[in-house]
Amino acid sequence: MNTPNRKITIDPVTRVEGHGRVTVQLDDAGKVERARFHIVEFRGFERFIQGHPYWEAPLIVQRLCGICPVSHHLAAAKAIDQVYGVDPQDLHPTATKIRRLLHFGQVFQSHALHFFYLASPDLLFGINAPVEKRSVGAVAAEHPELAKMGIQMRQFGQEIIRALAGKRIHGITAIPGGVHRTFDPAERDYFLTDNETPSIDTMIEWSRGCVDFIKDYHDKHYAWLDSFASYPSGHLGLVADDGALELYDGRMRAIDSQGKITLNDVHADNYLKYFGEGVEKWSYMKFPYLRHLGRQNGWNRVGPLGRLNVCNSITTPLANAEFKEFKAYTNGRPNNHTMHSHWARLIEVLYCAEAMKELLDDPTILDVADRPAVNRRPEGIGIIEAPRGTLIHHYKVDEKGSITKCNLIVSTTHNNEPMNEAVRWVAQNVIDGEQEITDSMLNQVEIAIRAYDPCLSCATHSMGQMPLILEVLDAGGNVVAEHVKDAT
Amino acid sequence: MSAVLQNLIRPGLGPDTLIFGIGNCGRSDDGLGWAFLDRIQNESGFNSPVEYRYQLQVEDAAQIARMGRVVFVDSYKGELPGGFQWKPCAASENFEFTTHVLPPRGVMHYCKNLFGETPRADVLMIQGCEWGLRNGLSDDATSNLENALEFFRRNILNPDN
Repeated sequence: MNTPNRKITIDPVTRVEGHGRVTVQLDDAGKVERARFHIVEFRGFERFIQGHPYWEAPLIVQRLCGICPVSHHLAAAKAIDQVYGVDPQDLHPTATKIRRLLHFGQVFQSHALHFFYLASPDLLFGINAPVEKRSVGAVAAEHPELAKMGIQMRQFGQEIIRALAGKRIHGITAIPGGVHRTFDPAERDYFLTDNETPSIDTMIEWSRGCVDFIKDYHDKHYAWLDSFASYPSGHLGLVADDGALELYDGRMRAIDSQGKITLNDVHADNYLKYFGEGVEKWSYMKFPYLRHLGRQNGWNRVGPLGRLNVCNSITTPLANAEFKEFKAYTNGRPNNHTMHSHWARLIEVLYCAEAMKELLDDPTILDVADRPAVNRRPEGIGIIEAPRGTLIHHYKVDEKGSITKCNLIVSTTHNNEPMNEAVRWVAQNVIDGEQEITDSMLNQVEIAIRAYDPCLSCATHSMGQMPLILEVLDAGGNVVAEHVKDAT
Repeated sequence: MSAVLQNLIRPGLGPDTLIFGIGNCGRSDDGLGWAFLDRIQNESGFNSPVEYRYQLQVEDAAQIARMGRVVFVDSYKGELPGGFQWKPCAASENFEFTTHVLPPRGVMHYCKNLFGETPRADVLMIQGCEWGLRNGLSDDATSNLENALEFFRRNILNPDN
């Protein structure tokens, strides 16, 4: 290709959940004029749910996603608990433990899916790999033991979900003010021993192996991982009262790229006071930001990298040791390397495995979890750390219990500006000034987006098919390079 | 039944046969696979485990590898003689992996290559007509389901009756 005045479009972007496109506008000299990540699915779920009884929300919102339905289920359940009249600390302790176990199983399986099925081809085969190698199929062919491990790790998380929710996708665990059921001893013991599903101890061992893998990979490829799509940004996540990593229930903390606190452990109920949502005419996905910092400076990365940047520690020993090593690499300062998201994600995999083990070993997880009495309120807000980042559900209900208003700020929405920043980085550092647009260049745009593990169907609350699309357009608006593939 | 047909159909089920129903009952006739499972579990003599799936995933290969036989039941867009089709499913690497679509032959490919197992596999495709956001099957799909169930009863579940 040797065409000046170009606009590059990637449509769909592959190996992400959802449908979107990337456009790179070049000027007459082949310099990048503008690069954008567009989300072209339509947002609608917040409207669908209006008029439904409040107790249906945790069931209905799961349909936002086939990958992280549990996160939506639990975020909605936490909000609906408040409508029912129960705050998190008043939930029966066993109910909280069951919900936490469900959540750890969800994050574990989702992270395994992302790393092994979606991201590992980028790492194992490199940015110049031919298209046919960019899939889990190639990983299975060339690294069968790694693929088997990934499959069984994902399966373990799914089996936890199935045991607690009745099925792997769109089951029921949480009900207003409690849980639908708890474990019986046989169900619990299934996960403590090797059988059809390897035991939780095996999961911990394999998770340690995954962290060792990414550290070894980093040792060999640090020049790329420490520079590719790296840029300064804010970071956001939930933390426990002592500042430890918290995925189920905590306070919101944000820092800037230098580590200065920009949101100081605020309670979920106050999110509207602190967060605004910007809109752009070229994307259906909104752009959340911290109001006091403004639309241009108030955006944050969320997800594994954001979470490990904002927290002080991890409560489980093995993951905490890895966390210290991760933090030491940047001398305790915020880690702004996009590709280190994979490292952070695998530390969280280890954390989830250890946390599941603690809960499975806890005899009180077998207790009966009584629900407190109902004491209705008109409004509820639930915030949780979904696999991809901070997830906010907010409902208002009328006196009859019908939902009158719903607002969802989904993890991937927080990462909208960060993903656009990553696309701009690749456009300016890889594509800018090049006369020939190669497949490798376009693949690198996808690699940058993929590090965020975006779920675009969640972010727009859409339904339907989900391919994701890359375009280079000339100054006259003509497409001169394009990637169009089914979503993977 | 001829020997060739018998070999093609391979009658007889048991606890080591896993039956997948694939689809989404909230999408009208896309729910044919699930509706088939709902019905077949009430049949006398049926004692096989079943799995309801929106779509197949790679990890299903691990579960299949532990079974002696697997049947995939799915809805089909297009014309089928009599409204359904039963056919053997061979492992094949000729497919594109996505997290939203993985064909039965792809799952069988992973089962063979990753776990070294090749259980007998068949696909039962049932013709659907409507795919909108609605619970319940269309009249034509219901009729096709009945035909498929009758075939299954006579030739797979109770081949000696």
